[in-house]
Amino acid sequence: MSALGGPAQTGGVQPPTTMGLALSIVLIIVALALAFFLVQTAGLIALVGIIVGGVLIAFGVHFVPVGGAPAAMGQAPGIATGVAMLAAGAGLAGLFGGAWAAPFGFAVALAGGAVGGGLLMAITCTMVNVIYVFGMGIPAASGKVAKDPITGDTFPEYKSQGTEGHGLPFISWVGGVIGGALGGLGGTLIYLELLDIYQTQLPVILNATVEQIASVAISLAGIFAVGMFLMNAVLAAYNITGTIEGPHDPKFKRFPRAVIAAATASAVAGIFAIALLELVGVF
Amino acid sequence: MSVKVEVGAGGIPHNQILIYGLVGSLVLIYLTYLNTITNTQYFSFFGGLAAVAALIWGTDTIKHLCSYGLGTGVPSAGMIALGSGVVAAIFGATTGIFAPIVTIIVAAIIGAVAGLMANHVVRMDIPVMIVSLIELAIVGAMTVLGLTAMACGTFEFLGMITGTVEFLGFTVQTYETSVIGGSIVAVIFMLGAIAIQHSFNACLGPGEKQDRTLMLAAECGFLSMITVAIISFAFIGFLPALVALLISIIGWIYTYVKYIELSKRDAYAWLDAKPILEPKGGA
Repeated sequence: MSALGGPAQTGGVQPPTTMGLALSIVLIIVALALAFFLVQTAGLIALVGIIVGGVLIAFGVHFVPVGGAPAAMGQAPGIATGVAMLAAGAGLAGLFGGAWAAPFGFAVALAGGAVGGGLLMAITCTMVNVIYVFGMGIPAASGKVAKDPITGDTFPEYKSQGTEGHGLPFISWVGGVIGGALGGLGGTLIYLELLDIYQTQLPVILNATVEQIASVAISLAGIFAVGMFLMNAVLAAYNITGTIEGPHDPKFKRFPRAVIAAATASAVAGIFAIALLELVGVF
Repeated sequence: MSVKVEVGAGGIPHNQILIYGLVGSLVLIYLTYLNTITNTQYFSFFGGLAAVAALIWGTDTIKHLCSYGLGTGVPSAGMIALGSGVVAAIFGATTGIFAPIVTIIVAAIIGAVAGLMANHVVRMDIPVMIVSLIELAIVGAMTVLGLTAMACGTFEFLGMITGTVEFLGFTVQTYETSVIGGSIVAVIFMLGAIAIQHSFNACLGPGEKQDRTLMLAAECGFLSMITVAIISFAFIGFLPALVALLISIIGWIYTYVKYIELSKRDAYAWLDAKPILEPKGGA
């Protein structure tokens, strides 16, 4: 892009290098072993939950229709902002929903997270289209496919010349909601696993009741969930490099790379989060 | 996004800023330990200054990384920096006096994994990616640790999770009125993230000058410091918090005035807006 070079913008998907794959597998196994060694079975289950959560986030980000700066000018379909911002919005809304529902049990909390994230994306996508159609006066037309896979609407006759499409077609709306739900689900899963660990360990270390340390445990689990969410979302954003229209976009097929990267990054960040309280009082 | 990211040449070499930022933030964070030695809280503001030093370094790193055209927008780099940094900072804080050094090591590990994943699995293939993500994770971690130390007067984990409440004349120890228990760390997370991602995002383009971008980074850092200084009234004594607030405000005014000066230096022309005077006797 600039004179210095830049990421390869080729059409084909470059597979991960052998070194990258080997490193991922080794790091995940080492992290799982460490989790088992430090916190026994509970740690192992928690780290598996964190890895699954990270994978869900990275996979979910690929569904979200990200338009970036061109979308703001009506020259590309999607929501007019970057991947990291959209994923953060959907993920944090999901996390709030899940954290609120945490006392009602594991399944309800996960559902709360998914509904929270999905709802935020549904509202965002709807209002984006309201602004596109009634504010900017542009119809929804995808540039990547000729026909909407769900409604069967055709696009080429509505697409303006010189653009990659514009507006937010129905398939992108559906993708956004699925992406938000998956992101919220993943973020909530990370939060619940960490909360479980801290609520077991903190009362022992601080010699206090579960109620007394509740605020510390919730805050720690929450901030780590946010941190890991953003790490995974940005790795997925790097995988997309720029804009994506949703599940029908050819770029969607790149998701396995982001899934591997997110699993490894979550495993490494997760092991530090799980082992957080091991060193308290040692020094 | 096919937005061309342009950076100005010249200025201080990046490696020099790296050394200043790393050593500077480490020394400044350790200066908050004077609180423990002298049994006062007057040295808390050094934590904020450490964050400013780290932010200046981080902005220069983002400038280096984003000159390759990531395609995801500049803020994503700030998000991954703080996302991986917050895990490292809180993990490091549990190691007592070694906290800043352990934080740097843990942040480097998480950043290296994220960088290796980005280059070898997601295949960004950017030469400076791994080094930049290591640097950014350290910057994010030092920012969180510095601002947290500023808010509660210590960089040790037990100090971050315990606070005191006056109740009927008795001083009671609680976990709820603490920096982590009160979720202040989430506010600090966002204050750091906004400070790190704004400067280069605002200054990039033709005619970008290093001194102007870094001055804006310092200005953003001091602006975050003001907020943290106000927060610190809740956790440290009135006078130490007032000292911190005064230092942040003085720092902010100085950097703001300097930044406006540099902006006028680099601008082609500017208009000093003056109020429109009403003509005498009516129009």
